[in-house]
Amino acid sequence: MPEQPVKTAKSFVAGLIVLVSIVAGTVLESAESDYDRTAAKSTKSFDVPFKEFRLNNGLRVILAEDHSAPTYSICVTYNVGSRDERPGRTGFAHLFEHMLFQGSENVGKGEHFILIQNNGGSANGTTNAERTNYFETLPANQLELGIFLEADRMRALNITQANLDNQRQTVQEERRQSFDNRPYGRTYEAVIETAYVNFAYQHSVIGSMEDLNSATVQDAVDFFRIYYAPNNAVLSLVGDFQMNVALSLIKKYFESIPAQPVPPTPDVTEPEQKTERRKVIEDAFAQAPRLDIVYKIPPGNTPDWYALSVLGQVLSGGVSSRLYQKLIKDKEVALSASAGPDERRGPSLFWFSITARPGIDLAALEKLVYEDIERLQNQEIADWELSKVQMQLRRQRAQQRYSTRARANAFGHYVVYYNDPQLINSLQHKYSQVTKGDLQRVARTYLKESQRTVVTTMPKPATAKAAPEDR
Amino acid sequence: MRSKAFVRHSACIVALVSGVAFLGQNASRLYAQESIETPPSKVERKNQAPVSGEVLRVKLPKPIEAKLQNGLTVLILEDHRTPSVFVQLHIGGAGALYEPPGITGLANATAQMLREGTKTRTSVQIAEEIDRLGASLGAGGSFGSSQVALDASGLSDNFDSWFALVVDVLLNPSFPRDELEKLKQRLRAQLRQQRSAANFLVNERFNRAVYGDHPAAIVSPTSESLDALTQEALMKWHRERYAPQNALLGIAGDVRAKELIPQLEKWFAGWQRNDVERTRPANPVAATSRKVYLVHRPNSVQTTVALGNIAIDRRSPDYIPMVVMNHILGGGVSGRLFLNLREEKGYTYGVYSDFSARRYPGPWRAGGSMRTEVTAAALVEFFKEINHIRDQTVPPTELEDSKRAIAARFALSLEQPTAILGLAVSRVQFRLPEDYWDTYPAKIMAVTAEDVQRVARKYLDPEAMQLVAVGDGLKIQSVLEPYGPVEVYDSGGKLTSIPKP
Repeated sequence: MPEQPVKTAKSFVAGLIVLVSIVAGTVLESAESDYDRTAAKSTKSFDVPFKEFRLNNGLRVILAEDHSAPTYSICVTYNVGSRDERPGRTGFAHLFEHMLFQGSENVGKGEHFILIQNNGGSANGTTNAERTNYFETLPANQLELGIFLEADRMRALNITQANLDNQRQTVQEERRQSFDNRPYGRTYEAVIETAYVNFAYQHSVIGSMEDLNSATVQDAVDFFRIYYAPNNAVLSLVGDFQMNVALSLIKKYFESIPAQPVPPTPDVTEPEQKTERRKVIEDAFAQAPRLDIVYKIPPGNTPDWYALSVLGQVLSGGVSSRLYQKLIKDKEVALSASAGPDERRGPSLFWFSITARPGIDLAALEKLVYEDIERLQNQEIADWELSKVQMQLRRQRAQQRYSTRARANAFGHYVVYYNDPQLINSLQHKYSQVTKGDLQRVARTYLKESQRTVVTTMPKPATAKAAPEDR
Repeated sequence: MRSKAFVRHSACIVALVSGVAFLGQNASRLYAQESIETPPSKVERKNQAPVSGEVLRVKLPKPIEAKLQNGLTVLILEDHRTPSVFVQLHIGGAGALYEPPGITGLANATAQMLREGTKTRTSVQIAEEIDRLGASLGAGGSFGSSQVALDASGLSDNFDSWFALVVDVLLNPSFPRDELEKLKQRLRAQLRQQRSAANFLVNERFNRAVYGDHPAAIVSPTSESLDALTQEALMKWHRERYAPQNALLGIAGDVRAKELIPQLEKWFAGWQRNDVERTRPANPVAATSRKVYLVHRPNSVQTTVALGNIAIDRRSPDYIPMVVMNHILGGGVSGRLFLNLREEKGYTYGVYSDFSARRYPGPWRAGGSMRTEVTAAALVEFFKEINHIRDQTVPPTELEDSKRAIAARFALSLEQPTAILGLAVSRVQFRLPEDYWDTYPAKIMAVTAEDVQRVARKYLDPEAMQLVAVGDGLKIQSVLEPYGPVEVYDSGGKLTSIPKP
């Protein structure tokens, strides 16, 4: 499901990178976000025990047994995303994700979904700037099916002009449905296009219609060879299986897939931003103006990024958060407000997104946001605010533990992004290191005018004689 | 499958039953997808994948069921995998279905106001306490529903603390006037905001079309009905309609039922039974002739369509065959609609069908969004698929695959305690037999091709369907006209006509 870039901060850290996927509706981004300090009264451990292997062809394998339900999830995460695209081929990584459901040597076009559904499972694939992942959840007795399906398409994808044309249309419909036919659908692109200079992060995952039209079969063949190699992927398996059985099946189906030369790593560095950037766009569907204010921040999995993540929660996590209480409840100037960092391996963005009440003075609203930032810079947050965030993280972490898919996807994320599957267990410690002083420091260091980009989305005035609105 | 799979759910029995083998059929045999033109990209089955021919049959753990002295029904599902607890309280009789005319939105506003102040806590205090405890608490009700619901979750470490808050907002709300005014302001802003979304517009028009005079026709309050919300009206609704004997409390997670039930008696001791009039409005009836509605949404690049008609209620004997029929036609990414309109034609990102079966009959409905230019072609395919499932019996393999898909999927619900609890809640709410979910897979497997065709013919009559399209009226009005006289609305919801270009 193409997540709207910033809506309510319902899940800590999650959702700030636009993610597009093969089918709508079933994607849960598995932002594993833990925090545990004063809260650790329960003796229950959240740790996810796992074992790591590497096949001869370089495929990394993470296995985590959990017999609490008769299910398992498999996730194959490829180290390729929209940041690897070249100019003129925006949207290609995601279009290619769709091609992985178009058949391979032993699986017909569309048969992947049929096999998964007919056996009681669910499946999807998603693409973001950093990586592309494919995952299935199935009843435990269908262990071999999931492993087979992922291996067959990694080994011998069937790329044809007819299937590429068909999925190009589907993806263009996805773009229309998720972006072009929606209020604020163009805002995300306007923000990254303005905030970033480097092409790698400057363009969207969904890509442009024009570039999607330019994609060729040869592009797909090349992309498959370069990026869809076992040594550029990690396979994670979580759930109700025996480790030795699973490992032998994985070897049986994957080990003979040849390795490829290591793909190039894209340059994601950004020149230092020296002054504020501003942009105003018009939106034919929006009924209320929206203000997006972003700041350049460090990559994910750095101490400052974790501090900024806590800061986002203080600002917009829950009804007691600062932005909700001030902008929505108290001053009644906003319909929604969220704040938090997106997570990239390169320069990331701390993102405020505020939908204004119609008729509100936007300059005044913007000023209110800056007042909150100044407050964070000049005063330590209250003890209860920090402990609140700790508790919220602990709860989220506990609730995410039920899903085998959330864990399988998290392993893929941590390995591809940071080469660290152990992060699933150590993340909590990283968050626990964040102090009130850190929060003040990162607010001063990063949330400053020179690193800021402001995009205002204005409702487009209705053209004369078009259908009258009710107000 | 090893029986040790259920170290947690000792009540569960896992067994393998021989499923319906679908291997060995002719390779590349497709489900019948007749098409006049040759599709550029054809769905194909190679049948090479290693599939276990067995369906993993699971017995769902059963929550402990109790009735408190005040009549409150309690379902508790113990699950100690993580220190989490999930709470859902459904209050029958307090939903929008029973709202008096002119005050649309009363039920939802009453529920939403619960957390905006109690006799001893202000709105801000409640918000801060909930967040400090790491818990979440929300309340609301949807239009057409007979009930409202409170949802809360949090850690078991401090369950007593956050559950006490749930009880406080339920039993002692004060509905402060200033908070009510603020809520009304927020709701007013939403009235306008929601009109920007094609999905809202299609739902609004479709529900009007199929439900007619039934209250479920309404999907939103109006500016006038929000004006009518007063503190007195909310207090009265709460006093008269929040009755324990009509409520169901579901709790799943890291709790001990044996210890919890006596505590619940204490917590809810102050909640007294009362007499609530619960006369449901007359059931909606299916439309008998086709009508076409166009919602003109300027600048649209897609047409969002919905088509369908009133079908069945939840206790209908046709429910089970409807589940199978709907799954075949549009129940997911292997449904006929998806495979045809997306995978073969490339018209859409996704088209699906579903049906709503509550205490009263609700609609079966198909729909999706497609680029404006292919609206006509897509509508042809929708009706073609509907006619196809009515006119021809489902091939045996496709039927068996679908039934197997529905039965096998049960295993996945065992991951989430809330999923298991949800099934038990619906069983109690719809007064289904005790063994309903245990025998559900067998009931699904007993559905025949004739059953599927019979319910398709009975409930999917193309000549009586209501067809709604939201999009660029300048381009699609003529496309809709062959399906019947077109009634045109603007995105504000008002009857209009398309301006001549």
